[in-house]
Amino acid sequence: MIGQVTAAVIGTIGFSILYSVPKGYYPYCGFIGGAGWLIYCLLFPACSAPEATLFAAAAVVILSRFFAVRKRCPVTIFLISGIIPLVPGGGVYWTAYYIVMGEMELASETGFMALKVAVAIVLAIVFIFQLPQKLFRKQEK
Amino acid sequence: MSEKEREVMEAAMEAGHILLENGAEIFRVEETINRICRHYGVESSNAFVLSNGIFVTSGGVSEEVFAKVQNIPVSGSHLDRVEAVNQLSREIAEGRYAVGEVREKLEQIRRMPGKTRKMRILGSGLGSGAFCYVYGGTLQDCMAAFLAGLLLYVFVIWVSEPHLKKMMSGIAGGAVATAACMVLHRLGIGQNLDRMVIGSIIPLVPGVAFTNAIRDIADEDYIAGTVRMIDALLVFFCIAMGVGLVYTVKQRMMF
Repeated sequence: MIGQVTAAVIGTIGFSILYSVPKGYYPYCGFIGGAGWLIYCLLFPACSAPEATLFAAAAVVILSRFFAVRKRCPVTIFLISGIIPLVPGGGVYWTAYYIVMGEMELASETGFMALKVAVAIVLAIVFIFQLPQKLFRKQEK
Repeated sequence: MSEKEREVMEAAMEAGHILLENGAEIFRVEETINRICRHYGVESSNAFVLSNGIFVTSGGVSEEVFAKVQNIPVSGSHLDRVEAVNQLSREIAEGRYAVGEVREKLEQIRRMPGKTRKMRILGSGLGSGAFCYVYGGTLQDCMAAFLAGLLLYVFVIWVSEPHLKKMMSGIAGGAVATAACMVLHRLGIGQNLDRMVIGSIIPLVPGVAFTNAIRDIADEDYIAGTVRMIDALLVFFCIAMGVGLVYTVKQRMMF
């Protein structure tokens, strides 16, 4: 698990480079991506994938907002790279794979799961952005 | 409308343009335009922002009217420019600049050098290799995914970005990444082809469009949000198409 989380940190930093995040923010992006994946790993065997994603994504959004306030910069910078490990890239792949192999049942199963995971990310973003900005300012002091 | 007011409006629009083009949320674009206008005393300004256009007007009964529409194709995601404009807007609110200086600053931001090609290719490789491991690949799989990720971005930078439309570049990108992994797999680098492919298609994932779509819809900017969501889903779909195509070809060739 430690290896996976480290990989998530490195991968998130790779993405920050692709999205031209300013250099000084790489460590924060990496930290957020890693934290999200850590929570996912801790929850996944016990919860379903969408549930684990919901909590992991919520943590990512909370951390992004926290750092955005502290660093006085747009939350987008942290959020976009930090959320990447949770995006169901694997789901997209397996769906395509099963469709080609003619395994329609498995294809619809994985496709639907990918959609559920995406909805979990949506919900996490919607919920956490509803929290008032004040909450994040207090933590600053 | 006085010369100064016109300049304020132009500067505000320029700031909005840079923000929208580089992947900022709709409300941030509107807020920044309005904040700049108010700060320099243009009270009657009104901004309407879509995912690919900005409409700004000011003036009315007693003042002269200023109106401008700008069509803004989304080019790339330079989040450093979003950050820079945000910083500038904060400094404007503190009263540090005259209008002329603001336009100069914006011009500088517009010309900010992006990441070099080498860095972007490296970033893609890092992302691919690392996510291959996250999704359960072995170290050797990661090496292969790293190589495929490098190759993918060489393709993206020299072929997709200058020559291909979005749908086509999604399909082609997915296909190139998958084909690269298959070749590496055949050469004996990496054991789990699926983990390798999953890792190497990750750099194509439309993270900016997807995240911004959700945020815009949550902010009740439905039109812009819907357009961005379609954009993101279409890219996901096209990547899957690309992967599927290559697998189909492989299957056909094996029989």
